[in-house]
Amino acid sequence: MQIEVIPEGDVQHLKLVLKGELDALTAPKLYEQLTQLVQSRPGLNRITLHCRELTYLSSAGAGILLMCMDNFTPKGISIELADVQPEVYNILDLLGLTKLMPVHHA
Amino acid sequence: MPKTSLQFGATTENLPIVRHFVQNHLRSFTSDSVQINQVTVAIEELCANSILHANKEDPEKELRLELRLQGTTLHIYLYDPAPPYDLHQYPQEPKLLRADTNRPGGFGIFLIRRIIDRIDIRKRKGGSSVYHMVKDLNP
Repeated sequence: MQIEVIPEGDVQHLKLVLKGELDALTAPKLYEQLTQLVQSRPGLNRITLHCRELTYLSSAGAGILLMCMDNFTPKGISIELADVQPEVYNILDLLGLTKLMPVHHA
Repeated sequence: MPKTSLQFGATTENLPIVRHFVQNHLRSFTSDSVQINQVTVAIEELCANSILHANKEDPEKELRLELRLQGTTLHIYLYDPAPPYDLHQYPQEPKLLRADTNRPGGFGIFLIRRIIDRIDIRKRKGGSSVYHMVKDLNP
């Protein structure tokens, strides 16, 4: 999986592009990178993950997204998913995560 | 789709191989990408449980996944060298935060239950096991 940071002037809003498959092998990498980015950006209050090119999500990937939300919310940082493909949205929906965090269709 | 099978070692590095094997075979039967993805996820979660929990990520342990299509019904068999674990003993709802690990848990088994129509678990001679999942692809 590839994780790309979208350069943005707004220091409060971090935008990332996720490409590929978020599974047991790649989920720890996403968590590590997001945690580093949060630590390096004081004043951050919003993270948007653009998922148009995210083609697969396993339970491990969904678990990491939830863990990010659990860890970042107390720091005043919201996390949302944008441009989510129907296959990935369906899995998030089955797990009930679409009720816990903003998830927007592609 | 005739009977087809894949043999693989019990390591998480083989999960993408399992995933792409399942996707490729289901695509020859249906173009419903959401359903293909659901079934793929359910099969991968079953394999991941066997790899991580039953076989403790021992790459020397060999698992065999078999897909058989009868009409519109997909039969999925996972032959596992480890003794069976009872999927039905897990809580019905996933834990958003497990007290023991401080992480979410139970998502994989929850997804299997939501997606798959029926699952049977059998102990085989010698202590190994076979998991049989059934999914109607055209309900």
